[in-house]
Amino acid sequence: MKKNQTEPKRFMPEIAQKEMDELRNTVKAASERIMAENVERMKKTSPNRPKEMEYFDEIANLFGKRAKEIEAAKAQGKKVIGYMCLFAPTELILAADAIPVRINSGWYDASKLGDRVVPVEVCPVIRSTIGAKMIDLSPYLELSDALISVLTCDGMTKLSEILGDYKQIWGMSNPRIKDSVQALKFWNDEIKLMKSNIEKLSGNKITPKNLKAAILQTQRATKVFRRLQDLRRGNPVIMGRDAMLVNQTYMWDDIARWTEKTEALCVELERRVQRKEWVCSPDTPRVMLTGTPMFWPDNWKVPTLIEEGNPSGVLVADELCSSERLLYDPVGVDEWSMDDMLNAIGERYLMASTCPCFTSNDGNEDRINWLLNKVKEWNVQGVIYYVVRGCMLYAMEYTRVKRVLDKANIPVYYLDTEYTREDVGQLKTRVEAFLEMLNARVDF
Amino acid sequence: MISVGIDLGTQSVKALVLKDDKIVARVKAFSGFDPTKAAEQAVQEALKNAQVAIEAVSSFTATGSGMELAPYSAATVSMMGADAKAGTYLFPNARTIIDVGAEEARSVKCDNNGVMVDFVVNERCAAGAGAFIEAMARALEVKLEDMGPLSLKAERASPINASCVIFGESDVVSLIHRQESKPEIARAVFDAMADRVSSMVHRLGVNPDVVLIGGVAKDVGFVASLKRKLGVDILIPEAPEFAGALGAALIGARKGKVK
Amino acid sequence: MSMEILGNALQWIIAGSSVLAGVLAILIWIKNKTRKVTYLRFFIQIAMLAGVYISFTMALWLGILMLLIFLLTMVSGRFFCGWICPFGFYMDLFSQARKALKIKYVNLPQRANEALNKLRYIVFAAIIGWCIYLILTSGQLLQPFFLFLRGPFRPLNLFVDPLEPLVLPFGEIFGLSGYSLSYPYMRDINFYTGDPFWASIFVYLFVGLTVAASFVVRRFWCRFCPTGLSIAILNKYKGLKWMPLLKINKDETKCTKCGICKRVCPVQVTKVYDERGGDIAPSTCIQCFRCVEMCPYADTLKVEFAGKTIFKSRNWLEPSDIE
Repeated sequence: MKKNQTEPKRFMPEIAQKEMDELRNTVKAASERIMAENVERMKKTSPNRPKEMEYFDEIANLFGKRAKEIEAAKAQGKKVIGYMCLFAPTELILAADAIPVRINSGWYDASKLGDRVVPVEVCPVIRSTIGAKMIDLSPYLELSDALISVLTCDGMTKLSEILGDYKQIWGMSNPRIKDSVQALKFWNDEIKLMKSNIEKLSGNKITPKNLKAAILQTQRATKVFRRLQDLRRGNPVIMGRDAMLVNQTYMWDDIARWTEKTEALCVELERRVQRKEWVCSPDTPRVMLTGTPMFWPDNWKVPTLIEEGNPSGVLVADELCSSERLLYDPVGVDEWSMDDMLNAIGERYLMASTCPCFTSNDGNEDRINWLLNKVKEWNVQGVIYYVVRGCMLYAMEYTRVKRVLDKANIPVYYLDTEYTREDVGQLKTRVEAFLEMLNARVDF
Repeated sequence: MISVGIDLGTQSVKALVLKDDKIVARVKAFSGFDPTKAAEQAVQEALKNAQVAIEAVSSFTATGSGMELAPYSAATVSMMGADAKAGTYLFPNARTIIDVGAEEARSVKCDNNGVMVDFVVNERCAAGAGAFIEAMARALEVKLEDMGPLSLKAERASPINASCVIFGESDVVSLIHRQESKPEIARAVFDAMADRVSSMVHRLGVNPDVVLIGGVAKDVGFVASLKRKLGVDILIPEAPEFAGALGAALIGARKGKVK
Repeated sequence: MSMEILGNALQWIIAGSSVLAGVLAILIWIKNKTRKVTYLRFFIQIAMLAGVYISFTMALWLGILMLLIFLLTMVSGRFFCGWICPFGFYMDLFSQARKALKIKYVNLPQRANEALNKLRYIVFAAIIGWCIYLILTSGQLLQPFFLFLRGPFRPLNLFVDPLEPLVLPFGEIFGLSGYSLSYPYMRDINFYTGDPFWASIFVYLFVGLTVAASFVVRRFWCRFCPTGLSIAILNKYKGLKWMPLLKINKDETKCTKCGICKRVCPVQVTKVYDERGGDIAPSTCIQCFRCVEMCPYADTLKVEFAGKTIFKSRNWLEPSDIE
């Protein structure tokens, strides 16, 4: 149901157009400055940064090239379908010749605006998305013709209602017990419903042929994505922030082009491995991040502290749905019939997920196993458990993860923060103490 | 070998001179508006007291919230690392070190070599730090150094409802109007603080021996409350406010040996 | 004359398939260059079928053959079922035909599948029981009968029936002497029905039903085939848990529970998915290794023979030199 723009909004306050424009310009200018600054800092930290990163630096500008491309495509009749959580079936969107784009908000300033609508205890990612909508800040959100909102957590559920005042929202309920018999059947039904929604909006039918092409495309993206992460197993040839940026640009970039450019980056990195051109000293403490997603640009706060601190560390792996969880699991198709492809898509998004919004009948060990495997294979020395205040799910899983990592003799530190720049000083102390601790362990 | 440790805290700077692993001098001064200058002066005074020339110093190591401002291009080490080192130096069996300063409290778990293995920080709530005592002393119209002995006179603690320092003051005033005795209010203040500090330490796990350092460790009232809340014996070194500087000096000395 | 041509042709088929199979085997197992175990299996199945056909030109000691099949299951589980059995090969061909026609397969409901699996025990027990009954009531010399599975051992022929090739090198069909059409279990249906009219009705019914069923349900017969049962009985005894030597091993921490192994299994084995980790050797698994082939996480599922890894899942989106 498309909402009439002139109907009174159920949640959002009325803001005069002038005030809205002013706020947007201020926040946008600040954001452009921060994006440029982050890129500058990444460049400065590693003087021999891979050359192929130039492309990603350009795409990183949320208001720049890519936004204009999508606008031009829309003018030619293509539809844009936005989504918040990772469970939205991108393959279906691609098959219908529409543009998928993830619209989670990473702007700190927008979250303060969101405080006008919902209490401060609410997850800051949600508040920031609300604030961004309030002032029409996000080009991708504005360009979306419809939003796929997977109702993974309380915040997402209500956010879909709030955004429903402006955009067509297609809600998908995900079953919370992910491995019960009914769960997969229910989820596959949701996928089928989404398929017809997408077909109706785009005016294109999803046929076995174009669906196969879309699946092959995302499989290629997964291949190169894994290749990039694999290159972080040994001595560092790419700084964690750079790799995270590459991972994250997938969320809004053109997938075919992103695959190509990431492949070129992997080739360059493989050459560096052969020539032993490390981007930082091999005995820099190897850190892994796990927890709530970190969205560009403002949330580069913690990775920057880790990689520019004194002592400094290097991010070699992460378990973030804004980074390494994005593309890790492929769609495994058995027989290329429409039915099997849809089943494969449904399973890919539901079964292998490590999001704590799920629990399972057999102990819910997916995330634990993923972390342990990463720690072992990527030679991780310390884990920072990152939580934005307001996320019950990640916060509550900490105890379990800590116990498991304690047993594996890996230090883990709980770092909670907010969408604010004011706690950088305090975070710095703690991050640096943690890195010092990792250094001391290595010494002994 | 001579190693100098400097602790640049929010209110005061502490300098300590270590000669062959023995403390030979220590000086404390107010930070004021120029912590770097204040630290420099403190170091110079300490060296004078120890009768050591500045050229003879092998390493300068700084810690504390203002460590980036340290003079003599001192190497820096985190407060947690310094605390761990100092704790095990002062008490070889120390495994849990609690540092309660003016504005924040932290706890460090360490191994027998003084290497920290885990830490927890509480910088969000001032009711778990020295500033709370100051505010309450003001409200009770009692001198800061008298709060401790006063509280020891009480057999029970009055109920303080406010969880926030800001509201604690008005809470205390209303308690006085209700004829609650000052010793009992003072004890409640320390109990509230000890509550927050102990729940912070419990996140790490209470591993004996437990050592308390930082300026607030000199306050007998707080120590008594914390002993009660943690249920274990607490070791307190002499001059606990110099623990940070001591730890920094020890780490500097060790690094020097390694070189 | 035609027999000679056929004989030569068969030899070429066997030689050719064996060479192709050998090449693929080397590529997969030693160089890890390609993933298509399914292709390898296809070539070996062709070679085996040709071999079986040739063996029908000689006087076979069916009894020994039956024992060999059972012994093989001790060593390699139901490897026979996945790689050698001609009936299985026919069913795979039907599945290929279905795939080419873009018809989707049908999964039996889990309960029904499990019931069919349990049916094997009953059928197996019935055959053995009947055989014992015949032995006890025959009072004849047993030895020559056992070798050819005649006399009181005739019921055991049912265990060897899946080996029946579709064309036999004797008899007569379509006016061409020297060949006849056949089908697994056909001769026993004929034997036990007696009356030729009803026998041919039952044979047509049987052929029709099994072809139709295995067209939509993958490897339909294998789910309750009594021939593939022997390992299931042995596995129940604690001392024999090390059998079979050919097992699937799962690395617990690497499995993401994505469910692909469960989905692609032609006989709907769920144990590979359900078990946390370690050695997995379900008695219904036909060792086709499709699960290992399709698992997209490196080193998660492994095929192990006597503890040694001979094939493992890999990051299957890595480029493969030969696909």
